[in-house]
Amino acid sequence: MPPLLVINPHNGVPAYRQLMDQLKLQIATGVLPAGTELASTRALSAELTLNPMTISKAYNLLEREGVLERRRGQTLVVAERSSGDAESDRLAHLRDHLATAATMAAQLGITRPQALRIFRETLDATAAKSPPAP
Amino acid sequence: MNPSTAPTSTSPATPAPTVAFTADRITKIYGEHTALTSVTLNIPAGHVVGLLGRNGAGKSTLLQIAAGLTLPTSGTAHTLGRRTDLLDSPELTRLGFVMQEGKFIEWMTVAQHLAFTASFYPRWDHELQHRLTTQLEVPTTRKLADLSPGDRQKVGILLGVCHRPALLLLDEPMSALDPIVRRRLLDVLLERLRDDACTIVISSHLLNDVEKIVDWIIALDTGRVVENSSLDDLQESFAEWTVTAPEAAPLPAFTEPFILTQQRTDRLARLTVRTSEPDAAETFAVAHRVGVQTRRLSLDEMFPLLIAAKPAASALVP
Repeated sequence: MPPLLVINPHNGVPAYRQLMDQLKLQIATGVLPAGTELASTRALSAELTLNPMTISKAYNLLEREGVLERRRGQTLVVAERSSGDAESDRLAHLRDHLATAATMAAQLGITRPQALRIFRETLDATAAKSPPAP
Repeated sequence: MNPSTAPTSTSPATPAPTVAFTADRITKIYGEHTALTSVTLNIPAGHVVGLLGRNGAGKSTLLQIAAGLTLPTSGTAHTLGRRTDLLDSPELTRLGFVMQEGKFIEWMTVAQHLAFTASFYPRWDHELQHRLTTQLEVPTTRKLADLSPGDRQKVGILLGVCHRPALLLLDEPMSALDPIVRRRLLDVLLERLRDDACTIVISSHLLNDVEKIVDWIIALDTGRVVENSSLDDLQESFAEWTVTAPEAAPLPAFTEPFILTQQRTDRLARLTVRTSEPDAAETFAVAHRVGVQTRRLSLDEMFPLLIAAKPAASALVP
């Protein structure tokens, strides 16, 4: 069962897209390790009050992208990925978020060195708040 | 009673038509008033269609034609594969219609009315009826005449779904329901979808509610179809762009055909756009040397844009 999926039907992002993004993030962060079985289309549709076609659309696209795979008996599981792929997924997530920040920096007229300094400071502040990495 | 000689009509093996409803250039005229003008559309089976439009756009008329309650003045409509002027028990028993204001036999209690209606349907699901009565909190011992508008709507829903229709038409089914019951109704509809692959057409002003379950949008405006697309496609093509001038220079004029509305000052513009080009915002930003932030629109926000027949061409003054 993928935990903690929250679909906001009113933010204009298609529900299948939200579902794909959240599952990918959970896979990239290791919440859903390789081999984890996904909830059936039926079960997830009931849980999230979503059209079952929306769920199967998200599942099918993730399967086509190689993020999920079908095992014997049609069970859908998180696909095994090379550590290189997993790494590039994680980087891609961060890159997406930074793209928004970069646009904002340009609009605010913040210079490149200023923006880089702020990112460094933000990293430091976050590290200070969270427990030390193992 | 008929002995079960021919098990054909209610057999679940009856092949499901792939199109639940088709309209071919249907026009409906009531006296002086034209409710629908040459409407042509297909509703593929298994979809949940949101039928949107302002009051008087023709939503109820279209649903009534689909249910065979009235015939088009011209053009032809097919429901569950049968021309609507020839609908017969194989189709009618698989058709559910929840009317905006249900017409009931007022002296009956809810329980009596359910039993009465059930007697017409060989496939009436008593277990489902029992469950929905509890789920939607339907007062079964009270007379129809004494019910509140909300409770009447619930009875209408029960009468429309307990025979497990293949095509379920709902005309403003939620207007009198409170948010908790509305939410439960959506669960009920989704369950019909999962268990029976039922096709659902739902007209509603409560766009926030239907947005959760619809996957297809048909919008009517003054009797004409102005939109007929999947919700995913609509959500991925409509956006609001906030455009900023990066330097001291004022923003140039924007004349791209995909711009539907624009509000602007010298330094900032808010555009609504419709384009299925995924890189449109980046291309635009580079072409005009501006910053662009994009935001997706909810159905509520898209609605006025859908029914505005033409993009508001009036370039709003600086």
